[in-house]
Amino acid sequence: MFKQLVRTAALAIVIAASSAAGAQTLRMWGPEQITEPLIAELWNGIKAEFEAANPGAKVEFIPPTGTISNGAVQAAIQSGVGPDVILTNSGIGRIAVVRNAKQVLPLTGEYEKRGWKDNIYPWLYSELQRQFGGEIYEVPDGLDALGIWYHKDMFAERGWKIPASWTEFAALMKAMQTAGVQPLAIGPRTTGSAGHLFGSLLQAASGREAIGKALRGELAWDDRTIVAGAVRLRELVEADYIQKRMAGLDLEGASRLWFSKRAAMFVAGPWFTANARKAGYDLANAGFAAMPSDIPGETIPTGGVGWSWLVPVNSKQPELALKWIDFVLSDAVMRKRAQHSASTMIYPRELKGIEPATPVLKEIFAVAAGGVGYNPSVYLPGPVLDTYFQVIQGLISAQLSGEEGMKQIQAKMSEAK
Amino acid sequence: MRLDDTPARGRAAMRPSGTASRDTLGSALLLMAPALALYAVFTLLPVALTFWLSFSQSAGFNTGAQFTGLDNYRKAAADPIVWQSLRHTFLWLAYHVVLAGGLGLALALAIARLGRSGVFFRTAFFLPHLVSLAVVGVIWANIYDPFFGLLNTALTGLGLGAYTQGWLSEPVLVLFSVNVASSWQGFGLYMLLFIAGLQNIDPALYDAAEVDGANGFQKLIHVTLPGLSEVMTFVVSLAMINGLKGFATVFVMTNGGPFYQSELITTYIYRLAFQAQNHGQAAVLCILLSLLAIAITIVFNRWRARLAR
Repeated sequence: MFKQLVRTAALAIVIAASSAAGAQTLRMWGPEQITEPLIAELWNGIKAEFEAANPGAKVEFIPPTGTISNGAVQAAIQSGVGPDVILTNSGIGRIAVVRNAKQVLPLTGEYEKRGWKDNIYPWLYSELQRQFGGEIYEVPDGLDALGIWYHKDMFAERGWKIPASWTEFAALMKAMQTAGVQPLAIGPRTTGSAGHLFGSLLQAASGREAIGKALRGELAWDDRTIVAGAVRLRELVEADYIQKRMAGLDLEGASRLWFSKRAAMFVAGPWFTANARKAGYDLANAGFAAMPSDIPGETIPTGGVGWSWLVPVNSKQPELALKWIDFVLSDAVMRKRAQHSASTMIYPRELKGIEPATPVLKEIFAVAAGGVGYNPSVYLPGPVLDTYFQVIQGLISAQLSGEEGMKQIQAKMSEAK
Repeated sequence: MRLDDTPARGRAAMRPSGTASRDTLGSALLLMAPALALYAVFTLLPVALTFWLSFSQSAGFNTGAQFTGLDNYRKAAADPIVWQSLRHTFLWLAYHVVLAGGLGLALALAIARLGRSGVFFRTAFFLPHLVSLAVVGVIWANIYDPFFGLLNTALTGLGLGAYTQGWLSEPVLVLFSVNVASSWQGFGLYMLLFIAGLQNIDPALYDAAEVDGANGFQKLIHVTLPGLSEVMTFVVSLAMINGLKGFATVFVMTNGGPFYQSELITTYIYRLAFQAQNHGQAAVLCILLSLLAIAITIVFNRWRARLAR
């Protein structure tokens, strides 16, 4: 009896060991909203094709609990039982955090070896090369373009139009308020959401070049040029175009205000189509425009790299992770994603002949085709980001003046240097 | 054999020889080894590592930590957010003791003498304690939503629209609002402890007070509360420890905002360690938090001992 038990146990161990040796499971952090049926359908299809092309490989999605900005990605990597490949919100500021903590592998060589450099826009590849002295730690998956979302029917009914200048835009917000409609909604408890509106205001007030200089540390954040955007945000709060109470809202709460048409405008990117779909909002009614600026040629969306692939240093399947990135960058997969109705972003290379899945995406792509500026949330150094987001909350809750807020950001920038 | 020999021999027999003593010590160490090993790995080692980190510049375990002396301590002392979060932590503690402890006591007094219905109320009031703090945070963030939330909607419905607030955006309110959520989750446990304490009070004391002509309030002041003093000190110390651990509701509901108005030491530690990857400065705050816990425990125990005398 005892011998039989020992034999059975030994057999079980051999089977378990051989199956463990044969199967390769790739644990993937993301994609965002994988629990949404439409997104799950798309990604389960991609996963099935990858598994078929790589016998013995299994892909397991880990629904993200957060991003680099709130430390969730770092904590997952540090746990030692985290993902093998990560798809998350990126940009140089965020990537610098995990890169400085030596949590992600450099992928520079793979760009040449695996031909990734030919799978993304040349300007994007050049930008990546400039970030960390030639070393690249991410593979862009999607680009962001942030601007104003509005309700087409509401605007048509009242004869409103997103104007080309800030002066006219201020008049439009006044008209909205008089009509009993909240002009703008913002949910700064979600850091990204806070940055979307604020970044757009900064760029509209100071222009792309000035913001670029401030991000590179060539112009102080408390310089009058840059402070103008922060002062503008405070003016919007004073005029009640943005209510102080919104400082306590998150992205979900603020978008609820917009979806229910209590608010006329909301600053977001192409990914907002997923939120709209989830809320049952008719996407055909959504319009998109860049934040108006009085500076000629500066009425353009802000943006940058929105999402990237990263390989953690402790990935148990680094080779399989690289194969997965090859697969995702392939023409077949990228076209499949771009055509799918769950598609919510601008892809990192031109995909000719593909009609965006929703009319609002078509509008966003058209507006972004004229150029995209800087979303500071993506470009600011990691240690400054938190102060940046807190300052936005401070401005909306009227705890800080524009000048005071920008001084705080400048102090952190000096420290980060 | 002389009669007086027996105790002496007994004493000798009870006194272990050198070898026996060594054996006993060896066995004791062997038996304690697993517990000691676990204690060393999971308590002593992390404490030692935290101390080491506090004197170094480190961006995480994958990077080399450079010894920087007292630099992190100097930076922490000069950081206004550290002092602000420390002040908030004390305020948070006080709110938690008063709100959760007070509500627990009030409800215990209200339902302790109920018959069968008492079981229902006890269960109902204890239920929030079974909900995770993160979930509590999400629920209460929705209750506090300034535009669609239950609280402001109810106030408006009752004709009290003037009292609606930005519960999570007003700098003077936000910490209190989040603490209400946290205390709502915690009061059930304290209530049960108070009920257990009430059941231990001798009913004869109430009879005696009644004979002396005491009214309900006098009985509460002179019989019930003194009878609960032991439980009360236990509840207060428990509430203070739980208060010091406050993190989840703040993290979920405000993430320390707006503009650090609900930042606690614990949330700032997380921010420094996992968002800014500044492990050295985070370690300094961990040590500060530990010292705070030790100081509170010592002061509280001395106060308790003085009360008992």
